[in-house]
Amino acid sequence: MENRKIRKIILNAVSVIIAVVLLFPLYWMLVTSLKFEADIFKSHPSLFPERIFVDSYVSQLGSGQYNMFRSFFNSAVISVSVLVISTILSIPAAYGLARFRFYGKKLFILLFLVTQMLPAVFVLTPLFIIFNKTGILYTYLSPIIADCTIGIPFSVLILRTYFLSIPKELDDSAKIDGCNHFTAFLRIMVPIAYPGVIVAAVFSFLFAWGDLVYGMTFINKQEMRPITAGIFNFMGQYGIAWNYLMAFGVVTILPVVLIFIFMQKYIISGLTNGAVKG
Amino acid sequence: MLPALLFMLAFIGYPIINNIILGFQNVDVMTFNNEVKEFVGIQNYIELFRDDILRAAIPNTLIFTVGSIIFQFVVGFALALFFNQNFTFSKPVRGLLMVAWMIPVTVTALMFKFMFGANGGIINEFLMNLHIISKPVEWLVYSGTAMWAIIIANIWIGIPFNMILITTGLSTIPGDIYESANIDGASRFEKFFFITLPMLKESIQAVLVLGFIYTFKVFDLVYVMTQGGPVNATEMLSTYSYKLSFTEFNFSKGASVANILFIILFVVSLFYLRLVREEEVM
Repeated sequence: MENRKIRKIILNAVSVIIAVVLLFPLYWMLVTSLKFEADIFKSHPSLFPERIFVDSYVSQLGSGQYNMFRSFFNSAVISVSVLVISTILSIPAAYGLARFRFYGKKLFILLFLVTQMLPAVFVLTPLFIIFNKTGILYTYLSPIIADCTIGIPFSVLILRTYFLSIPKELDDSAKIDGCNHFTAFLRIMVPIAYPGVIVAAVFSFLFAWGDLVYGMTFINKQEMRPITAGIFNFMGQYGIAWNYLMAFGVVTILPVVLIFIFMQKYIISGLTNGAVKG
Repeated sequence: MLPALLFMLAFIGYPIINNIILGFQNVDVMTFNNEVKEFVGIQNYIELFRDDILRAAIPNTLIFTVGSIIFQFVVGFALALFFNQNFTFSKPVRGLLMVAWMIPVTVTALMFKFMFGANGGIINEFLMNLHIISKPVEWLVYSGTAMWAIIIANIWIGIPFNMILITTGLSTIPGDIYESANIDGASRFEKFFFITLPMLKESIQAVLVLGFIYTFKVFDLVYVMTQGGPVNATEMLSTYSYKLSFTEFNFSKGASVANILFIILFVVSLFYLRLVREEEVM
């Protein structure tokens, strides 16, 4: 009995050490964002900020070319739009693929599966040309559309597995109660599959939030660029202003960390279902 | 059904075909707006295979991918086994580690760029305290070390992904198999090699193939940390394609490199799809 207790204490201690080691870079980013430049470049950098420097955040909040708040807002507009568009388009598609038999269904599933594996640079140039021709290049719309091409296949495949897990009898009983296909779908299926809807929505948001290449290519003005592309440009300009750069990084991961705290179980389910089952 | 499909056809299907065609044309900043594009056959590819940068990018991408996957997989596997034991912190800490996988890669790249820096970089500080190195190393400035720096950063991103997929695989192994093995007096070693590994075969295949695909198309991490430098030492197929298209505005060359990248991934994807089909989840 004693032995077992000691073993558990050791296991817990080891797990904490693993977490500290692996998550250290995040801590280091936060600490660096609060340090004075002189303290960052000291020969033995301290693990805690000895004096707190807040200008790295404050100066980027208001005006200036590299306005963090502005970039954050751009990313929010793009990511929320992607979330809405990709979820709304994906729900009926996933339902169709789960419920109906039709010619070429397997091919569609395959295509969605394959598009998830496409490198962004593979469609980047043609999208650039299309957006240029249609006149939406350099507007929010172009990264939104491009990000949706990642969100939609993921969402369709994830939601399909949720719809498949709902027994077909439920459809039938809804029809007996006077629902048609459409109302059965809206009133019965969507509410039951709602964990899947959340997974799809969260991931669509995260894909868009984390995107760099589309935001950097399809938008040419710093004040319209999403936050990841904003950081990249800022880095080019102020290469070693690490406290400012790290502050930018901290603000970028803020929504991700919040989503993570409140939606952890959806995220893990999305990752495992999406990756393994496809 | 239809709207999503039309959307994907317009913004994925059409671009795919277009990109392949672009590879056989000569479209650059001068001819970008011409109605009729010049057809040049396989000229782009002939030039590319004589191009030193492309000839460096292919092995670079392979080294980066294989190097990342081996360590991600081993560490992820070990952590999955560790957290599969029953103790108070197992689930919360395992969950917490997922953060590394979720944060935007741009930020991860930034973090590691700072940590690998010669001035104020914590990695040099740490190695010097351990007396492994005597003076700061400019990790990202030397071609020999830059590749390692980006591989290490990528391993950090990939560990949680591998861990979670292996964990899911572990959870599908019925516990009574281990019980009967215990009764038969199997050692820990035997249980791992004769039960755990064979039962995880499908998960392992999936995680390795997916890992290969996701790693092989790496862009953000390399573009932010090294931009392919120093002297093309970390140039990847994706970063080279991007540079050709959007800094040299040689759209056809860029598209051709992307096509080469795609063909390699396509072969691997076919292999993966065959696996998925065997598992009969389709």
